[in-house]
Amino acid sequence: MTVGVDAVGLIADFSRRLRERSVSTTTGSTIDGVRALAAVEATDKSDVRLAFRSLFVHRRNDLVVFDEVFEEWWAAVHSSAAKVRHLAEQDRNPSVIAPSDEPQRANVATALTRWASSLGETEDGETVPLAAPSTRDATGTKDFRLYTSEDLAALEQVAASIVRRLRIRRSRRWRHARRRGRLDPRRIVRLALATGGDPIRLAHRERALRRTKLVVLCDVSGSMDLYSRFLLQVVYALQRAFARVETFVFSTRVVRITDSLSQGSYRKALDALAAVPDGGWSGGTKIGASVDAVRMGWPRLFDRRTAVIILSDGWDTGEPEVLGNALAALRRRAGRIIWLNPLLGSPTYQPLTRGMQAALPHLDIFAPAHDIASLERLAMHLSF
Amino acid sequence: MRAEIARIQQAMAEQGYITDRATATAAYLAITLHKPLLVEGPPGVGKTEIAKVLAGVLDTELIRLQCYEGLDVATSLYEWNYAKQLLHIKLGEGTSQSVGEREAEIFSEPFLLERPLLRAIRASRQTVLLIDEIDRSDEEFEAFLLEVLSEHQVTIPEIGTVRATYEPCVVLTSNRTRELSEALRRRCLYLWIDYPSLEKELEIVRAKVPAIDTSLAGSIAAFVQAVRRQRLVKTPGVAETLDWAHALVALGAETIDDETATETLGCVLKDEADIRQVRADVASRGAAGLVAAGKTSG
Repeated sequence: MTVGVDAVGLIADFSRRLRERSVSTTTGSTIDGVRALAAVEATDKSDVRLAFRSLFVHRRNDLVVFDEVFEEWWAAVHSSAAKVRHLAEQDRNPSVIAPSDEPQRANVATALTRWASSLGETEDGETVPLAAPSTRDATGTKDFRLYTSEDLAALEQVAASIVRRLRIRRSRRWRHARRRGRLDPRRIVRLALATGGDPIRLAHRERALRRTKLVVLCDVSGSMDLYSRFLLQVVYALQRAFARVETFVFSTRVVRITDSLSQGSYRKALDALAAVPDGGWSGGTKIGASVDAVRMGWPRLFDRRTAVIILSDGWDTGEPEVLGNALAALRRRAGRIIWLNPLLGSPTYQPLTRGMQAALPHLDIFAPAHDIASLERLAMHLSF
Repeated sequence: MRAEIARIQQAMAEQGYITDRATATAAYLAITLHKPLLVEGPPGVGKTEIAKVLAGVLDTELIRLQCYEGLDVATSLYEWNYAKQLLHIKLGEGTSQSVGEREAEIFSEPFLLERPLLRAIRASRQTVLLIDEIDRSDEEFEAFLLEVLSEHQVTIPEIGTVRATYEPCVVLTSNRTRELSEALRRRCLYLWIDYPSLEKELEIVRAKVPAIDTSLAGSIAAFVQAVRRQRLVKTPGVAETLDWAHALVALGAETIDDETATETLGCVLKDEADIRQVRADVASRGAAGLVAAGKTSG
């Protein structure tokens, strides 16, 4: 191969092949690729491979994919230039699916509406047995499916303990402080200017605060119905005590319900939730597309201090690759991804669904969320 | 292979750093393309060493910034010399300077204390800047580094932007205790260093411990290879191998017998559970058994 006008196209093609395999590349690396090609022996496969490897790979996990892609590309470049051009012309769009495709409205009152209205019934002081007779036990291991409304107080306690965990801690960074904290020499010198070099007025500084944000994605598809209402109850309690929670519900599409949940009373919050626009709930779950929709729709939500909690049983009707890629992309942005699966509480459950299999490598924590005790354990994971 | 890359590999070897072509290529590109080099890998495989050797190869100064949580601008970039400033204000008392003029005066270069980053930027020749264990610093610092890494400049509010006359050759190392940001990764060349192969490790031992007997060096390298294949709390790196080689030479050992191995395991393994596990292994297979296992490729 000779370095020339062709090189840019060839390297762009290489870059595109990498992107197709979910290795992120930029125009910058293509330009560097051209420069690197001029700096090494462009006919020496090993030289080119090693140079490209240090340019296009940014993390260890991508090394294997890189080697495969490089072999393919090198072979393609040397077998026929025409073929490369042909490949380059094929426009393969990245597989990002809007979560709104095929909204199956129709027959169902939304899971959310059902949830809101059934809880409304408890207003009269009646308890609504949800799935099975209430068998209260003291250990906090009662499955959420069996909860009655009188158990909700316990949930609020858990929420409070989670909030305690998330409570602000000190970072190592400094910020100005009034009167408290340590002396701040830089500002003292500035102030001393006015008093002829005598540090009479003192300035202080203290450690800045480190804040954790929480983003909750709650699956409200049919299969999660019995759990999600209670999990949302926990989220409601969380949000009341802790300002930095953003809550989304999803099945085949995503709705942000933070504002609805932050209505004054729980009653009002329920009304607001029932009034969340559009049907289109149920009829399958597109977890990957929903995760993508939140990540791209609210990009500023995610940084290293964001914990993302996904509440879902992993029954995904979308493609597993979509879910895997969505979580991988999220992983690069967020501080921590926690997947809570109510089914994991059952001793016989194995996360074998294809969706769950695709998701597992990208999770920091995969934990059950079917009873109070499991939520209490969750609180342990939230401080970082 | 490009002649320059071969030369770098050769020069690194002359500095006592035995390396492979991938490392030499990455170092060569870092120098030629003026891009920072991000080196990741398990502890003790010689990540930091790359920067030192590079400084030797380029025959220049190595400026090192050790990262830790809470590392801030005052310890990494610059700090004002407060005592000198206060004294200067005192001395200037009674002159007709306005407060503004005096302020401009004390917040100027003579009152600046250079920290590693500023020193590397302002150096009067190209230096090697080692930003060690970047994963220990926090995200804010990482974001702050971007300006230094991509523009080779830093901004000091009181003075302005300082641009490098001689762009430093930057090496960053990470033990992957946390994931680095995409923005930082994109700006760097990437190099992953793994534990060395038996042959490479033998070469390293012989280069670093010249006094060692060839067959002993072979046994040490093989033994460590066998130990690395086990599931340990802390897998020994090359640094540990070299410590052990030095220790065995000092003890005048000629071969690794069971007794010597058991007594000196502390050089290689730094965790009580690991030591117990390998001791049990030595007791059952014998040190010779482990050496033999290490020599078979795996």
